[in-house]
Amino acid sequence: MERYVKGVGMTKFGIEDRPIHDMAHEAMTLALKDAGITAADIDAVVVSNVDTKINDERQRMYGLAVSSLLNRQMPIIVVPAVCGGGGAAFWTALRLKYNNILVLGVDRVLANTTPMITKEIMNAGDNFWEQEEGLAFPAINALVAQQHMLKYGTTVEDLNLIAYKNHYHGSLNPKARFFGKKVSLEEIKKSPIVASPFNLYDCSISVNGAAACVISNDKTDVKVEGSGLATDYLAPFEREDMTIWNATVVAGKEAFKQAKVLPSDINVAELHDAFTIVELIAYEDLGFCKKGEGGKFIRSGYVNLDGKMPVNTSGGLKARGHPISPTGVSQIVEIVDQLKGRCGKRQVKDAKLGLTHNIGGAGGTITVHIFRKL
Amino acid sequence: MTKNIRWICEKCNKKWIHPVDTCIYCSGKMKKQIGTTLKVIGMTKVFTPSPPHPIIPYNVIMLEDEHGNRMPKKVMKDYSLGDSYLDVADSSDNAVSVVKIKYDFYEAVKEAIELIGDVKVDAATKILIKPNLSIPGYAYIGICTNPKVLDALIEYIIEKGAKAENITIAEQSFFVPLEKAASKSGVINVIKKFGVKYADISLTEFETVNAREFSFEVSKIVKQFDLIFNVPVIKTDMILGIDGAFENLTRFLSKKTFTELAKDPTKAVNALALLPSILSKFITIGDASIGMQGNGPAENGEPGFFNLIFCSRNPVCHDKIVQEVFCLRKLPYVELAGKLGAGAYEMSKIKVIGSELESLRRDIKQPIGSRLIKKD
Amino acid sequence: MYIKGIGMTKFEASDKPSYVLAYEAAIEALKDADIPFSKIDAVVTASLEWFFSVEKQRHFPAMMSSMFRTHKPIISVPAGCAGGGHALWVANQLGYDNVLVLGVEKLMTCKSESITDEFTMALESKWEQLEGLTAPGSAALLAGHYFNRFPIANTDDLALIAYKNHLNGALNPKARFFGKKVSLDDIKNSKIACSPLRVMDCSISVDGAAACVITKDKTEVKIAGSGLCTDRIAPFESKDLTTWEATSVSSAEAYKQAGISPSDIDFAELHDAFTIVELISYEDLGFVPKGSGVKMIRDGTVLLDGKLPINPSGGLKAKGHPPSATGLSQIYSLTQQIRREAGDLQVKNSKIGLAHNIGGVGGTVTCHILKKV
Repeated sequence: MERYVKGVGMTKFGIEDRPIHDMAHEAMTLALKDAGITAADIDAVVVSNVDTKINDERQRMYGLAVSSLLNRQMPIIVVPAVCGGGGAAFWTALRLKYNNILVLGVDRVLANTTPMITKEIMNAGDNFWEQEEGLAFPAINALVAQQHMLKYGTTVEDLNLIAYKNHYHGSLNPKARFFGKKVSLEEIKKSPIVASPFNLYDCSISVNGAAACVISNDKTDVKVEGSGLATDYLAPFEREDMTIWNATVVAGKEAFKQAKVLPSDINVAELHDAFTIVELIAYEDLGFCKKGEGGKFIRSGYVNLDGKMPVNTSGGLKARGHPISPTGVSQIVEIVDQLKGRCGKRQVKDAKLGLTHNIGGAGGTITVHIFRKL
Repeated sequence: MTKNIRWICEKCNKKWIHPVDTCIYCSGKMKKQIGTTLKVIGMTKVFTPSPPHPIIPYNVIMLEDEHGNRMPKKVMKDYSLGDSYLDVADSSDNAVSVVKIKYDFYEAVKEAIELIGDVKVDAATKILIKPNLSIPGYAYIGICTNPKVLDALIEYIIEKGAKAENITIAEQSFFVPLEKAASKSGVINVIKKFGVKYADISLTEFETVNAREFSFEVSKIVKQFDLIFNVPVIKTDMILGIDGAFENLTRFLSKKTFTELAKDPTKAVNALALLPSILSKFITIGDASIGMQGNGPAENGEPGFFNLIFCSRNPVCHDKIVQEVFCLRKLPYVELAGKLGAGAYEMSKIKVIGSELESLRRDIKQPIGSRLIKKD
Repeated sequence: MYIKGIGMTKFEASDKPSYVLAYEAAIEALKDADIPFSKIDAVVTASLEWFFSVEKQRHFPAMMSSMFRTHKPIISVPAGCAGGGHALWVANQLGYDNVLVLGVEKLMTCKSESITDEFTMALESKWEQLEGLTAPGSAALLAGHYFNRFPIANTDDLALIAYKNHLNGALNPKARFFGKKVSLDDIKNSKIACSPLRVMDCSISVDGAAACVITKDKTEVKIAGSGLCTDRIAPFESKDLTTWEATSVSSAEAYKQAGISPSDIDFAELHDAFTIVELISYEDLGFVPKGSGVKMIRDGTVLLDGKLPINPSGGLKAKGHPPSATGLSQIYSLTQQIRREAGDLQVKNSKIGLAHNIGGVGGTVTCHILKKV
């Protein structure tokens, strides 16, 4: 089935606390306008939403609320996968036997105190092995980072470079949480420790937001060339090698095979930098560089805005923000905007082939999508 | 009056139960349709309790308005099919209105004020609004008065005829510069939006007022306005029980007086109880839209998500009803104020309008005060 | 696509965690299909994330990856009580050769009040939840509206429906009420839950898992029709308060795909979370005109030996209702019947069966038609 992206749209990701229906409505309206169609032309909707307990909506089964919001009867399904929900929803939508499908990710996470939000996100880890042992999400990834450093000599400076790059990109993105806010390498180095060796700038920031896109069988100038989804064991410590996230390897191989391209053909990519180490490991697992050489890779400048394959021109989860479910869809919004030449100051010249990489939990569910400008 | 709300597209007439600003089909503008004549078309008596609705049995009635739109409502009284549902406004001192917010803050605040007999304002009325901005925090944490409530209140009184230049938002903080809380909570945006005035009470003049054994330094600002709205955010308080109408009044006093009173908690209770008698009359609008539960009233609490607006002409009745709704322990300063004649304290004398009190009661996280445990 | 294997755990309060229940149901289904897990191309699951549960587990696909030790694509498609139906609907469209469809729920880990609260969150946040409407309350209002409009119907008819389902469930080894006799008086005398519904009008919460393996290879059970329709979130938004339109729309889609009409259905598994819902479903699925639902129960059409047996497995009432697993337990029952393997529960004509699964308060409905080929 040949699938094309017809339109994309997203709200600004930020700390503004708006009701979920408000954000969903804005993202859907923007995506439909970009696609040049109205809600009456949509045949099915795939929503991604994590039923959080920490906002005042207490609304589960978000698909029903979207149905009320669209004021229509039609197939609507919900595909959540914690942080990887957006990508999983897109993967599922590609395979449904309908023509125009609206993919929507919306979440309202920043509606409670920080300890409560931490507790909520902790639920993506294993209850007894991890949660009971105090493994909040930064801690889980910090242990992975430590393994990588011990095995391959990656340094804290390498991680700081990734944070610096993403913040630079984010300051240029009007939809990003850190739009207009420059962050220097000094600030990053000096920030307080969150879970050693991570400091504050190694961790992505929780925000509220929504993102949507419309896919269709009708030909447009952005084609979905490859789509892979793979899963991995829930907890990193279960895996043979904590520094290899197998789901990325499997999903990536599948996507590259379908698209009939090599990693070196990709012009621009959005990788899931929930924590800086995750982006570094993704360079290796997706095949952009050899295993263990992630540190060398970031230092080479290959992935900077003026490099051969800019990564996270949107600012990534780090600087654009990470509202959990919408993240995967917002990565697609950025890549489509890059392919269509709509990225202003952060435009990558002659971007023809883009890749998105979305992770759920600590590598439990991973989707990789490849898009081509026709 | 309890009311039904629909958001309708002006072009294609599709109806929404959520506020959207444009129609997703025809991009038409939306208008609001309010229904106030409500008829009972269905009722069920519920015997299955749940944490937000612990007291059983209760009834849920299905109401239909004059436009054919429906809405469910929780009541304790038994109704028959075809009965009308009507909340009758009461402008006496003993009335407390409690309104549930159905996505629209303007309609909720408007109804809360109308149910206690409404207010009369004109272009010359000087109005003071006193929110709680004493500790900075984002609006969704419920540590400051929700800017959406202030927005709704100002919009309502301007619609009734008041002029923005005669409206002042005044507050002070005993802990941090006032600007910090005003900007972090977003209240500063409300001030800019309507062009109302803004005053820091700590910069006003104070005069000494004596009452019983106390000598209070009270800001002269309370004498300079025709109509005062006391708009506290409802929070649990590990020491005071709740931060409600009474606690918000303490910031009309000087920092010196406050610091002295805070040294001795028993004295503070007596002093609090006297506050209504030394200040001018005011209307209390209790912001429990988000509010705070648990170990409030500062950073150890968590958002309450109460979704209510309380309103009363008398702070004793107001705080008493807040305490009853959230099933908290007795508030000694409210009881004492009642005994001193500041307002009705006995439940038999207080009238709750908008929803029945028993239907509002729910369990919240109590201010247990694990933070009060002192390490030896 | 065809159904190759089915499996389910006994529906009851269990001390096993949800992922172990899912694992067991999956193993049973794979064994029944005679396919090793390595041949499965993808897994579609349905499982809700409970706020009050002791498991505090939000990333179910990764949990199943740990259980199956695999990196295959696994997605979760929760939809409240319609999770099972949604999962099958999605699996049917993915285009893989062999798909494992899995639904599991573990409810019995907290007080019944908290369980009520969990279900309440499928209702609209401000208009319904704030006003004390819970799932039984909403169904009770539906019953009230129905009885007003069609005074011929009354609570005795609801009791007959519950009684029928218990008669069937007592014979189903996988059901919660297996071997337990429930008399019509027991039902009529049970306490009021939300008037006019009694406790025995409401299905009971249990833990359980159900699974099936669907393939492109021909077997004797074909998925002839698969319809899904998502409607409004609050029932009071609909024009007609006695109809759940999502049922009508999704079943029409399924009938069209299968090339049949309602009168061709031999037997069906309907979503009787509350007895009143089974009653209006007779009408919304097109078996009888609106308002005539009670005829079907009063004249015995829907009994096990009747012309159109409904819920031969005992339905949600007697089996128990683990929300995400229910839809797939209906597929389990239909498949057994079509294969003529249902033992004491075998219905006479079992060539074409309908599975009807509802989520929310009529908010989303899937209808699947299975046919013997």
